[in-house]
Amino acid sequence: MTTLTRRRLFGIAAAGAGGLAVTSATGSPAAAAAAGSGADFVPANLNLHLLRRATFGPTPTVLSAITTQGRRAWLERQLAPETIDDSTCDQLVKGRFPRVNWTIPQARDGLEPFSWDLMYDLTAATIARATWSKRQLFEVMVDFWSNHLNVTNPSDRVWDNRQDYDRQVIRTHALGRFEDMLIASATHPAMLLYLNNADSTKDNPNENYGRELLELHTVSVDGGYNEEDMRNSTLVMTGFGVNWNQGTFHYSGREHYRGPVTIMGFTDPNPDADGYGVGIRYLRYLANHRSTAQHIAYKLCQRFVSDAPDPVLVDQLASTYLSGGTAIAPMLRQLFLSVEFSASVGQKVRRPFEDLLATLRILSYGADRKGRHGMQSLVWIADSIGQQPLAWSPPDGYPDVAADWQSAGGTLGRWNTHLSLAAHWWPKELTQPEVRTLLPSRLPKTHGAMVDALAERLVFRTLAPIHKQAVLSFLGRASSDPLSSDSEAVRWRLPYVVALILDSPYHAVR
Amino acid sequence: MALALRRGAHSRLSLPRGQVMTMPTSTEQCGCPDYGISRRAFLGRLGAVGALAGLTSTGLSTQMAFAAEPYPGDVLVVLSLRGGFDGLNTIVPTGDPRYAEVRPSIGIPQNTLLPLDAMFGLHPAMQPLMPWWEAGTFGAVQAVGMTNQTRSHFEAMEEMERAAPGSSLRSGWLDRTLGLRETGSAFQAVQMGSSLPASAFRGPSPELAMWSINDFELSGAWDLTERQRWTNALIGLHDGAPATVGAPASTTLSALAGAAQMQDAGYVPGAQYPDSDLGRALRDVARVIKADVGLQVAAVDYGDWDMHVDMGTVDAGWLSDKLGELATSMAAFATDLGGRFADVTIVTLTEFGRSLVENGSGGVDHGHGQAVLLLGGGVQGGQVHGPWPTLEDDALSGGDLAGSTDYRQILAEILEKRCQGSQMSTVFPDLTADRLGVVRARG
Repeated sequence: MTTLTRRRLFGIAAAGAGGLAVTSATGSPAAAAAAGSGADFVPANLNLHLLRRATFGPTPTVLSAITTQGRRAWLERQLAPETIDDSTCDQLVKGRFPRVNWTIPQARDGLEPFSWDLMYDLTAATIARATWSKRQLFEVMVDFWSNHLNVTNPSDRVWDNRQDYDRQVIRTHALGRFEDMLIASATHPAMLLYLNNADSTKDNPNENYGRELLELHTVSVDGGYNEEDMRNSTLVMTGFGVNWNQGTFHYSGREHYRGPVTIMGFTDPNPDADGYGVGIRYLRYLANHRSTAQHIAYKLCQRFVSDAPDPVLVDQLASTYLSGGTAIAPMLRQLFLSVEFSASVGQKVRRPFEDLLATLRILSYGADRKGRHGMQSLVWIADSIGQQPLAWSPPDGYPDVAADWQSAGGTLGRWNTHLSLAAHWWPKELTQPEVRTLLPSRLPKTHGAMVDALAERLVFRTLAPIHKQAVLSFLGRASSDPLSSDSEAVRWRLPYVVALILDSPYHAVR
Repeated sequence: MALALRRGAHSRLSLPRGQVMTMPTSTEQCGCPDYGISRRAFLGRLGAVGALAGLTSTGLSTQMAFAAEPYPGDVLVVLSLRGGFDGLNTIVPTGDPRYAEVRPSIGIPQNTLLPLDAMFGLHPAMQPLMPWWEAGTFGAVQAVGMTNQTRSHFEAMEEMERAAPGSSLRSGWLDRTLGLRETGSAFQAVQMGSSLPASAFRGPSPELAMWSINDFELSGAWDLTERQRWTNALIGLHDGAPATVGAPASTTLSALAGAAQMQDAGYVPGAQYPDSDLGRALRDVARVIKADVGLQVAAVDYGDWDMHVDMGTVDAGWLSDKLGELATSMAAFATDLGGRFADVTIVTLTEFGRSLVENGSGGVDHGHGQAVLLLGGGVQGGQVHGPWPTLEDDALSGGDLAGSTDYRQILAEILEKRCQGSQMSTVFPDLTADRLGVVRARG
């Protein structure tokens, strides 16, 4: 798979260079240059670097906060989200999507059986929180863990419990200890149904959960287990199921396999029908395994540092994970303060969902004044550009490397979404300041200065000369051409220029 | 076995564009919340604002973008009948004495069938395809199954499109197929009629998902001048971009240029297609084939086959309507292709067949063995392929028609004989060498 990915990536890149070797309006071959570095497109400023990675997109407000507080203090607050007042966002979700706080019994009382309504509420609420919560790093980690311990939302077996899983498993532990999160997932009906452990019995073991527990959730495919370990992993977890009448977690000793089990270094005589304790000990063993530490550390580095993380940093984080009793926050602290992180400016690319959120944030979008149609429309936008949050269907979560996000349909969807949002065509119900407010109230004197000011506002830097020239050509203006409030560029053409800049690598690079 | 690869995105099942969430679940319920705004409304708004005219011929050089070596194989069209297609009422085993017994009210009466051979008759709604049957370019395989049996829509679809039972591969079979080929044009692999590619495409090889040729356009570029303006600006802004940003941008511009070229040229199909999502999607596939922009694989979804209740009679109702639309669309496609029909193979797939025995609601539940339809210049048509396991009790699988042919054998044979396919062990790990002879080798 890896070699295939590489080969394809380079294949595409080569074809891409060919495809761009096109004669531009000026007659010179445009964009035929060799592929460059993302670092050429984003500001080197480390505050902004941290904001691009640890939030769903910098805004002038957040930049001002981190500048005032200092990077370290800002990070500490983000790592202790309870210290950040997020009541506005909480009230928004509570008021507009009250059902996401339902327990499983409440959901079963309040919904038509197998209704998808609540699952879609959860998706919309997830987008709303990711966009407007002040606890940005927390929301980023919610997204990370939702993918790591993926339970596809919406999908048919979790209609009544996926919101509870989001709250009790993911949000409760997103910055806590991984061991606790793993146990919470292994005792939650959403996971047990999604990966069929609820269907797995001593007589008819279903290996789906037992395998993914090792391969995806903990030690990873190269973590040092064999097929016999995997079978034992399945057997030890038999009995972890659901109460079919109530839809809640239920341990069934009757279904539990009894007898000695050995999985990697874990052994237990497992003599009793009450194997719940054995299962929990097994989960703790896995959570604290060195291979799990490496796996989690690698994925965090891939999320926050680069697509091909430095093994030295991965090792350091893995050690921190183990010495901290699987605590998550210390790993993040170490990661964000590492030299490897500082040296990684421009090395990640926004996936479609991150692009959408960063666009909403930089354009200062707000939630619907009342109701929720606008926020619900964001679900469809995310879907149309190829990354509806929580919706990845296999158990491995959305891929987190740029090579997996090369689709032309997705790119076009992102470009069209930029314009739709910049022009406030859709969704109409969300609030947005007049697009004119993206420019300084004292209008720049020339078109060149206007492009500079707009770029500063949208991507926190001016564009390189060749790129600035591309925008000026788009406007049909020279840099020195005077700008007035009657100029096309600040009137009807303005949303188009905003979208164009958001279509560029200046916005695409994370 | 890592069985439960789940499909969460409902969209794969809710094919009809613009219909909101028609989503059969494995529990026979259809959760169809009218949730907020539909995708069609969203795309419609974008489209309305950016209503575009023609395409630039002075813009991107599509020739350049499509410079890859010409691909010397068939265009493979995978038509996914999502929801569980009832092969038993389509390629009807009327010669099996149990058929009429187990489907007393919804069975297709023998005297209405189009005779195929001693065992099988074709549902009369499929009449439009009979000329190709007689010409030997339309055929079928009955009693097709897969190794990992599951009767959940999600799991079955995922598993079918992953097509690698017993392996830990997470990519789809079309992705692996493309991964073995030279990178081609932006139109090398297209999902038509949907904004999301099928999971058969999942993996690193790029594919292009589009609602339609005419919808594939850049908002804001509403005429030739504006298109040129945007194209130049986007090219300029990606100068020096990292490959991970520049390459998809470049593919997108190529695809836009190709789509615009087709939009400009207009399209007068050589046949009358039904005015339906399927008809439109197949018409656009034919359009792309005839535009010679490098298409190798096209995928089209045609859903709404989950007929638990009221599937209707031979003359009217749900199944009859669906089959009529299917046959009419496929026939129009074959006609429209003209001489290109010789270089196209269409294969239908569904995640499972229906239950053998009709239920109490005039429908059929989730079963196993399915029927695969084949249409194309190289198809060994005019026959129903595959060993017939019979409908005797001890020949059934979980009470339903067994799968005597692994569906991957059919796909592998098409790839090998028609699509320059090699390295089947990469595409379909652990597949045996059995082949049925469903297609002729390409001349």
